[in-house]
Amino acid sequence: MNLLAVVDASIKKEGLQDLTMKRTVSSVPFAGRYRLIDFVLSNLVNSGVSTVGVFPSYPLASLLDHIGVGKSWDLDRRKNGLYFLPVTQRDGGISSVGAFAGLEEHLQFFTKSIQPYVIVTNSFVVTQLDYKDMLEKHIKSGADFTEAVSKGVQLKTYILSKDLLVELLRSYVDKQVVSVEDVVNLKKSPYTFNEYEYEGYFAVIDSIQSYFEASLDLLNEDKREQLFLADRPIFTKVKDEPPTRYVSGSHVERALIANGSTIMGTVTDSLISRGVYIKKGAHVENCIIMQKSTVEENCDLAYVIADKEVYIGEGVLLHGTPERPIVLRKGASVSKEDLR
Amino acid sequence: MNNKVVAMLLAGGQGSRLKSLTYTIAKPALPFGGKYRIIDFPLSNCTNSGIDTVGVLTQYQPHVLHSYIGLGTPWDLDRRNGGVTMLPPFAEIDGNKWYAGTASAIYQNITFLQSCDPEYVLILSGDHIYKMDYEVLVDYHKEHDADVTISVLEVPWEEASRFGVINVDDDMKVLEFDEKPENPKSNLASMGVYVFTWKKLKEYLEADNVIEASSHDFGKDILPAMMENGEKMIAYPFKGYWKDVGTVDSFWEANMDLLDLNSGLNLHDSGWRIYSSNPQLPPQFINKTGNVQSSMVNEGCVISGEVTKSIIFQKVVIEENTQISESVIMSGATIHKGAKLHRAIVPPKFEVPEGFEIIGQQDEVVLLTDEEVEKWKERGEQ
Repeated sequence: MNLLAVVDASIKKEGLQDLTMKRTVSSVPFAGRYRLIDFVLSNLVNSGVSTVGVFPSYPLASLLDHIGVGKSWDLDRRKNGLYFLPVTQRDGGISSVGAFAGLEEHLQFFTKSIQPYVIVTNSFVVTQLDYKDMLEKHIKSGADFTEAVSKGVQLKTYILSKDLLVELLRSYVDKQVVSVEDVVNLKKSPYTFNEYEYEGYFAVIDSIQSYFEASLDLLNEDKREQLFLADRPIFTKVKDEPPTRYVSGSHVERALIANGSTIMGTVTDSLISRGVYIKKGAHVENCIIMQKSTVEENCDLAYVIADKEVYIGEGVLLHGTPERPIVLRKGASVSKEDLR
Repeated sequence: MNNKVVAMLLAGGQGSRLKSLTYTIAKPALPFGGKYRIIDFPLSNCTNSGIDTVGVLTQYQPHVLHSYIGLGTPWDLDRRNGGVTMLPPFAEIDGNKWYAGTASAIYQNITFLQSCDPEYVLILSGDHIYKMDYEVLVDYHKEHDADVTISVLEVPWEEASRFGVINVDDDMKVLEFDEKPENPKSNLASMGVYVFTWKKLKEYLEADNVIEASSHDFGKDILPAMMENGEKMIAYPFKGYWKDVGTVDSFWEANMDLLDLNSGLNLHDSGWRIYSSNPQLPPQFINKTGNVQSSMVNEGCVISGEVTKSIIFQKVVIEENTQISESVIMSGATIHKGAKLHRAIVPPKFEVPEGFEIIGQQDEVVLLTDEEVEKWKERGEQ
């Protein structure tokens, strides 16, 4: 495959702050058992790309723990594979994709690789993009840049030649451009631009609102069928969780549930991650409950996002709204007394 | 003394009483508990007990087992030193040799064992479901300065004659070893889990190999010979869940035991994980019409019917208006609309047709086969 990948995992999204206190946007949990970065990494692997540079910024621990040496994506190769290339963001952090200041810190990654083309993409837009097809269309078009779009929405994914990228990394200050996204948005001369129209699943995750909507959207069969394709599986870090246990008296309707959970209460229109405990008499509706969280007996939750390892004490009543779901941050503990 | 322990896992068994479930796979490769294969239990026990050198002896239908175990990665057995080694029978200068019995399987791999240079050898079965800390067993063996330690379990008296029965004195010294006796004198059954001091085991394997009349079996030959010569044989009392899944019924029962919170077999214990290969599948989806009670469901399933007291493996589709109770549905199976299953075992990728019901079932467990479906179709035509 003559494509080299840049996954820009350094982008910060202020709107997602509640979920990114201790992690990058790319390691935000999504769809029950995944992290946002899983989707782009899986697309790359499913498209035959095997040289992948992940460019994250701090805090890195969560992302590093998740992707490790890339084993889950078969990117633990003797030759090529996964490169973890943190950026310092000494420029204060640019929120557009493919910031030259960040990529420049790892210029060697580009000069040493043999692939003639580069795909510059991100982890906050969830897609099933086929980069191989995109590359073919790019080459055919003869343009300098190809940008992926869907229904008028920019997917912030670009293909250009490696030589052009290296040239930009050496001259971006003079050219007064900051990123690949910037060059494309400005339609900077003398370059030529092409659009790649994509028709499959996509979700832009840049706020709690869009996160919540995209998550609950997966309860619709057509959305799931678009995202979870049998021939293009989504890979993630494996956990040795047992199958989920449904105890007698539980009631579950329209719910996406990962392994290792125990369901004793009522769960409707919700997403439940791995290792979650929903105790007896609890009522969970239109919620996202993440990994290893516990919902105690007789809780009543609606429109709540509970991040990892959240403990919701007995009898707690929390009702958000579809427009403003309540977010319980990672490790939070809520009791009836707290809410009084 | 190097104190090194090597585990030898006997995984060559056919399990003929499991009928069509083991026509193409060895018994240890049999899927169990919604996501596991039986061999995950002894392999995970090894990992959790800190044993990092494991030989897996295969013979009957080994392909699934070999590709499943691979480098041993899911059990952390992909090691530079030790790790897992697959040991199928092989050809030697004086001909091809199949494993005639449990002891001959080990005997034929003496070279492997010597290269590991162990102090103790742990003999395990690849087809038992249990959680056991082998480190405690080996320590017990050392404390008693035994030549061989046999792990034993108290079984109901009426079942004792199915096992190797062991009579002990107050110090757990073995006085008698009866392989499947008609009139058992004790209800302590051998679990087929042994620790040998390697030097002794080697001596007895070599002696047994030249006895033509021997069946080359641990229970029938090696242990009685050691008994006769007054070697120090100790019984280790194991307490906990243990099941030898030998028949379709016991396979079904063991699966049902997972749903009983008091059975002693808890897969949700994060302190003693059972490791397995993890397929990359999306979370399970319970539809609006779905109802799941007292069951375990794995990833990649879509459930739109009624499921009670059942074990559902990965990638199973259960359509609307179906009723499934006390059943085991293996990976990739589809239960089409309106089907009713009670006490059924549905093999992997099996399609249960629309409106299907098992004909003439009383309380027995039915392993679904194409013949069973034919029988149902014929009745519909009459």
